[in-house]
Amino acid sequence: MRQVALNTHISGRFNIELENLRNSVMAMGGEVEHQLADTLKAIATNNPAQAETVILNDLKINSMEIQIDEECLRIIAKRHPTASDLRLIMIISKAITDIERMGDEIERIARLVTKQKLPSDVAIKSSMLSIGQQAAAMMRGTFDAFARLDEEAALEVYDQDNSIDSEYKKLLSYTADEMSRSGDSMEDWLEILWALRSLERIGDRCKNICEYVVSLTSGRDVRHTPLENLQQTLDNLSDS
Amino acid sequence: MLKLFEREQLNLAKLPEAQTAIEVRDLCLRFGDKHVLHNITMRIPKNRITALIGQSGCGKSTLISCFNRMNDLIDNSVTEGEIIIDGRNINRKKENLSILRSQVGMVFQRPNPFPMSIYDNVCYGLRLQGIKQRRQLDDAVERALIEAALWDEVKDRLFESATTLSGGQQQRLVIARALALKPSILLLDEPTSALDPLTTLIIEELMAELKKRCTIVIVTHNMQQASRVSDYTAFLHQGELVEYSDSDTLFTLPEKKQTEDYITGRYG
Repeated sequence: MRQVALNTHISGRFNIELENLRNSVMAMGGEVEHQLADTLKAIATNNPAQAETVILNDLKINSMEIQIDEECLRIIAKRHPTASDLRLIMIISKAITDIERMGDEIERIARLVTKQKLPSDVAIKSSMLSIGQQAAAMMRGTFDAFARLDEEAALEVYDQDNSIDSEYKKLLSYTADEMSRSGDSMEDWLEILWALRSLERIGDRCKNICEYVVSLTSGRDVRHTPLENLQQTLDNLSDS
Repeated sequence: MLKLFEREQLNLAKLPEAQTAIEVRDLCLRFGDKHVLHNITMRIPKNRITALIGQSGCGKSTLISCFNRMNDLIDNSVTEGEIIIDGRNINRKKENLSILRSQVGMVFQRPNPFPMSIYDNVCYGLRLQGIKQRRQLDDAVERALIEAALWDEVKDRLFESATTLSGGQQQRLVIARALALKPSILLLDEPTSALDPLTTLIIEELMAELKKRCTIVIVTHNMQQASRVSDYTAFLHQGELVEYSDSDTLFTLPEKKQTEDYITGRYG
């Protein structure tokens, strides 16, 4: 595994600034992870009060995104980072956008509970929770890979999105069947579909962050690269 | 709301006396008919690094030289206004210049060690002050060299000529020479412009360490350096203070267009 040493600059203050920046991203990630866990609990127990707290907490995540972005800007303006430092700051700036969007997706799912529009069909609800659990596991893995800047861990997590996608597709077609049979209003169904879509999107956002980790450690932009080719590219890099 | 990053932003205009190292009031300076500084008023905070930036000839070095009355050495220089250091106006006639200059140390662009040993360089000022006891001098030399992050490199060759040191080492030696007098203010006039980038970073890191003990004012042509090292930055243009604020603000969102043009390289 290629290592990115963040704390070896001559300037001790720069080391501290980069460390704080990375820690703050971890703190933001931790908040979002917590939000998803609370939302899943609120869905499972149909608890609107808990979902309401999740919605309010999203403001905290938004504020964190702004503060981290400002700090990235400040570091670029004052420290003129280069090479891996520059890549780190650029990927942090991108990653926090993804993390903040995950927060928004979670907020949308939580609104399903506050609006009392949870699916009445038990199968849909349990599949929804199952995708949610998978997304939560993927999120945990993503932040873990980010914390350690661990390329291999990032690739493992990256792969998990396929399982979320296929389960989402199954659930979507099942839901479509239910919709045509049920007499519930289209508006209610749309809310459910959006929430399902949001859960699926969390997986995509995690995937983005994993790509950033690989970009940082390998120095190659690996976005839009199929997993098999990605592995091959990285293997070639390690060999050279 | 949760605060992720702590940032200090002192109100420089209303800086309390206890936190002010140098207070400049309506400072004007001319060399003969040539007006070099116009009505400069600023407060330089204690135990912080303040950078002065601006084009060549804008008066940065002249301003920094006012803080230990080095301009007195130039013929025809006329200074008006007050500079308050340690509660007294250093521009008054009765000011004892040798005490002032031991209190306000200065380091120049080119390392200028005296042609004598490393040891003698560091204790030069102390000997001038009449200190002769060997033990006292030894302690002072060791302390100053440790503070200047040079001790480990020279402790076994203290009595070799200072001119055998590398450029970066010579500059740290000169800083140690100033530090031996325990100054409360250290003036650095382009201290790294003759050094390579890595040695520059070592000196910059040294500055970050030294500000715990004294106030540092640095003149630099290198804007990146000003942004890296300084807590506060003053931008001067044609002898006037255009903008003076914390460096985070000045380098990300300057208030004046003139400052923005200068720091972004749009100066015409």
